[in-house]
Amino acid sequence: MKDRETEQRLRREAKALLEQGKVDYIIGFETGSLKFTTTPLITKDKDSVDRLIINPFIVNNLSEYLTELKGRVGIVAKGCDNRSIVSLIQDNQVKREDVVILGVPCPGIIDLSKVEGLVGKDRDELDDVTRDGDKVVVTVDGEKKEFPASEVLFDNCLGCEFPTPQEYNILLDESSSLVADKTASRKGIETLEGMPQEQRWDFWEKEFSRCIRCYACRSICPACFCERCFVEESEPQWIAPVPRWQDNLIFQVIRNIHVAGRCTDCGECERACPVNIPLRSLTKEMYDLVDDLYHFKAGMDKEAAPLMTHYETTDPEDFIK
Amino acid sequence: MANKKINKKNIAKLLGDWSKEFELFIPSKDEGIAKFAKWDGKDTSFLDWHRNTIVPPKAIFFPPVEEMFSFQKDKQSYHIELPSSDGQKQLIFGIRPYDANALTILDKTFKDTYEDPYYLPKRKNTVLVGLGCTKPYDSCFCTSLGGSPTDSANVDLMLTDIGDEFLVEGVTDKGRELMSMSSELEEATEADETRAKETKEATYQKVTRQLDTKDIEEKLLSSFEIQDLWEEIAAKCISCGICTLLCPTCYCFDINDELIKDRGTRFRSWDSCSFPVYTKMPMENPRIEKWRRVRNKVCHKYEFYPMNFDVIACTGCGRCVRQCPVNWDITQTLEKMQAKVQSG
Repeated sequence: MKDRETEQRLRREAKALLEQGKVDYIIGFETGSLKFTTTPLITKDKDSVDRLIINPFIVNNLSEYLTELKGRVGIVAKGCDNRSIVSLIQDNQVKREDVVILGVPCPGIIDLSKVEGLVGKDRDELDDVTRDGDKVVVTVDGEKKEFPASEVLFDNCLGCEFPTPQEYNILLDESSSLVADKTASRKGIETLEGMPQEQRWDFWEKEFSRCIRCYACRSICPACFCERCFVEESEPQWIAPVPRWQDNLIFQVIRNIHVAGRCTDCGECERACPVNIPLRSLTKEMYDLVDDLYHFKAGMDKEAAPLMTHYETTDPEDFIK
Repeated sequence: MANKKINKKNIAKLLGDWSKEFELFIPSKDEGIAKFAKWDGKDTSFLDWHRNTIVPPKAIFFPPVEEMFSFQKDKQSYHIELPSSDGQKQLIFGIRPYDANALTILDKTFKDTYEDPYYLPKRKNTVLVGLGCTKPYDSCFCTSLGGSPTDSANVDLMLTDIGDEFLVEGVTDKGRELMSMSSELEEATEADETRAKETKEATYQKVTRQLDTKDIEEKLLSSFEIQDLWEEIAAKCISCGICTLLCPTCYCFDINDELIKDRGTRFRSWDSCSFPVYTKMPMENPRIEKWRRVRNKVCHKYEFYPMNFDVIACTGCGRCVRQCPVNWDITQTLEKMQAKVQSG
């Protein structure tokens, strides 16, 4: 019910922004072509804003599109997307005055893969999946099954620190009631940390052997905004452009260092990976390291210098051996 | 040879008989994702799984990375060594009709245009045992491309699910030979044939996604210069390689040398026309804008390939729709294009 009201307000605001010439584009979500799926809507047309939706499946981090659109943009942003926008402003990739942020307090996004695992059916065999407070109700073959939201939200949502946008022009709803479960959010990392080093190495060898170098992790990441990526450099060649596990691993290690202090733990890299490599175990670990070492959280202050562009004499250096 | 049948309980024995002669591949979820993998001698978990693999079986013939040759500098010349081929006979068990169709489409490039020395030997040494679909995804649209979820046209032997058993049809001589290699197969009865026919008809109806492909080449040709249309279509694409690399008919590859002192290896690996650097040349990149790359991808499948080979380079497997992280949907794209062209 709440989503419907937010949705109506979003449509009104988006239409007004386009009609009054305050923005050239609206970026939001519309219904996707597969069951429960949503898809980005990027439009200049004031009539198509009636297709904008808000629901528990609006997963994409739309700030990904900001660096390629010319002109002023009205953008729908959840908490993590909002931080990505601020991070892009900090990195001078986007001007604050060029974006009208339509903030959506986010109660967490439903991970359909988790739902599939719990009910033992593929998503297109489910009749309905709805959010009801701290529960998610799944209807299969006419029968309703209830799950605690913490069991079916994306791992990164469970660890979300700022579900409500902090930097916005219009906040579409009151602050959200996210069901957080920090332990569950770090489960994959904890398992890896508990492994002896050799076993961890074997784990990543197996995982990265599947990588096909589609670069979806890089393409979908708002923090990966470089026009030229080190991967394609040939002089010098940093890594081989062929999908072998060693090179695939190095690709992710370097990518992680490049997005350190920019990554907002939106989880898009892991979600986009078609071969299910648990990439967030790397990015979330880096996110926490950045916080522990430098007390820095990406995208919290548009005036702050980006983490990797400045230093302080008090910065820790005991990890340099 | 008349059709036969096999009880699902005896599938492991059947595979065991075949594995004496062939290296066997089955649909597997062993490593966290669905792909064709070498059979371990016992796994039959694919019997409870009715969907398609994420990585298409083209990867067996055209792997993501493959050595083309190695070379060593020898005074003023190079000594070149080709990778050894053991000529091992292979059997792919459980290939879906749209993926088998995709191999026939790939043959146009790798066999008919030129004889690819890496793809072809593997293709010739492989027999395909097809397994009809029973539960198409909502992303599937094989029936719009002249296929059917139970089509036996591109396999050697075809299996159709009839409950506790599979009906087994020999399609080619190679397939019929397979039937004589195992004593696990029984004669099929008239009732089995009827059940198979009913299953085929019912499954065909379960494919609900439709795409009108009538005059699609001509329509794409007329749409080619409509930049607004292609910009709109391409807007949400993020230029990753998922739809192309996982497409069972996409065959683009990149070639790279790896050198260590006087020795080196030349590799080929999957490449994608979605990548901005795909057409990058020293002075120019003709497809620097995203809409040109998206247009090229769509036109290659539905216009250029049919112009060259009389067949659309798409089998409706739906992987590109299903795996796309932004739900860019080729069927919606083509609908939008057709509506635009028809409205003038």
